[in-house]
Amino acid sequence: MLTLSPSARKSVNLIIHFAERESKARYKRSLLGWFWSFANSLTTVAVYSFVFGAVYNAQPPITDNGRAENFGLYLFTGLITWTVFTGVVTGCMGWLQDVSDLRKKIYFPTETALLGGAACNAIQTALEAAVLLVIMALFTNISWTALFLVFALLLTMMFALGIGFIVAVLNSRYRDIQYLTGVLIGVGFFLVPVVYPPSLLEHNDVPEIARQLVTWNPPAIFVEIARDGVYFLQTPDPLRVLVATAWAVGTFAVGWLYFRSRSMEISEEL
Amino acid sequence: MTTGEITISDVSKRFRLDRDRPSSLKEAILRIGQTADIDDFWVLRNVDLHIEPDSFFGLIGHNGSGKSTLLRLIANIHRPTTGEVTTEGRMSALLELGSGFHPDLTGRENVFLNGTMLGLTRKHMAEAMDDIIEFSGIGDFIDEPVKIYSSGMYVRLGFAVAVNVNPEILLVDEVIAVGDEEFQRRCMDHMHRLRENGTTIVLVSHDAALMRSLCDRVGWLDHGRLVEVGDPDHVIDAYLAHASQDDGDTLTARD
Repeated sequence: MLTLSPSARKSVNLIIHFAERESKARYKRSLLGWFWSFANSLTTVAVYSFVFGAVYNAQPPITDNGRAENFGLYLFTGLITWTVFTGVVTGCMGWLQDVSDLRKKIYFPTETALLGGAACNAIQTALEAAVLLVIMALFTNISWTALFLVFALLLTMMFALGIGFIVAVLNSRYRDIQYLTGVLIGVGFFLVPVVYPPSLLEHNDVPEIARQLVTWNPPAIFVEIARDGVYFLQTPDPLRVLVATAWAVGTFAVGWLYFRSRSMEISEEL
Repeated sequence: MTTGEITISDVSKRFRLDRDRPSSLKEAILRIGQTADIDDFWVLRNVDLHIEPDSFFGLIGHNGSGKSTLLRLIANIHRPTTGEVTTEGRMSALLELGSGFHPDLTGRENVFLNGTMLGLTRKHMAEAMDDIIEFSGIGDFIDEPVKIYSSGMYVRLGFAVAVNVNPEILLVDEVIAVGDEEFQRRCMDHMHRLRENGTTIVLVSHDAALMRSLCDRVGWLDHGRLVEVGDPDHVIDAYLAHASQDDGDTLTARD
């Protein structure tokens, strides 16, 4: 922050503004505010734990010390990562739509609205991750590998922003994109091992292609890295870390360049 | 370039009037391979204009001549299709009702947002806040969301912000006409003062008398082309003569 150019400083200030606005808008007129974001993820975990743990009697994989063998925690780890992805991708479309009227009347770098929204999402995610780490610590199932959770969340954020930049621009032209994205996210949820362990696919009747898809799609890799770090307390496979980093950086770069090349046209869209 | 300078070199702006532009993905996919029925509409053609720093420039022309589009290109809201617009200095623009205000934010929050967009610090805006509230005369409404403002309040706050951020370039698009007489007079006074402090001002207006009294130079746009630039009296007389001749033609045609 010491020697930022005036235009960079302006962008940083705008990102802060949009982040503040997003956090205010999200829980406006709600008494409990941020509490709802916890309530939301905790209920999801509770419901899934009940359905898969109690009703279907799914066995959660054993943790490092064997003490946190809990389907809810297994699920929570995956869910945090997955909701960063879906929250940012769908958020980007709304954040751009929110400022499109403003951008028709005054110039400002439009990407700051998306980055601000993502920053707000990052803060909320950090709080949820803190809750997860505290619970893991209570189960004394914690180690330095928890840093891989942070790493996985950062990669997910970059990957989601890259996709978010692209769908936001497309959505400003074709409003179908938001519905299409919603459908794809619904399908994607089951392509990522969040509610089931990947070992479930070691079945003979699961086609090889499905297994590969679930093993190598980027959100699935991010989820697995997060789980290695915070649930199994082991260092993730270096190859997967490398592939994950390449996906995140590459997608972010493509999305960013696409957004920058099209951002001046947003003010001319109806 | 010196601060407050505006250079417009060979600028053209095309808007696509795509009459049946696909508005949904389905339509877009169904029409792959078909030739699109696109009407190109050139709002501005080959405009060359240099506005000196520290000058008061007026733009006149009939409705749809491209004045507002030219102002938007200077404000960097749209990008020219060809040619280049360069400006030097902090620019503040009052382009239309509620320019740069977000309807859900309060007046005060919008003032800060505007300042941020212009690259000013919160501290600077906090210091200017009293002047802005005083000048706009909107009182306690400053803490209400701007969506409940009347059009007069919108414009007064807009103008108050635009002139209180120490702009080096100020763009004004007729909006001040919405305010009452008293407010319009104060706007004029304020523009005079800014002008004396070295701000370059570009004003779009249909008010010939106002333009004569304020501007150093006037440009006349007709169907997207810059017909004449120069001494206000000369250009305005030419424009008015042309306009009344047009009226005459229409009347004759109607008979």
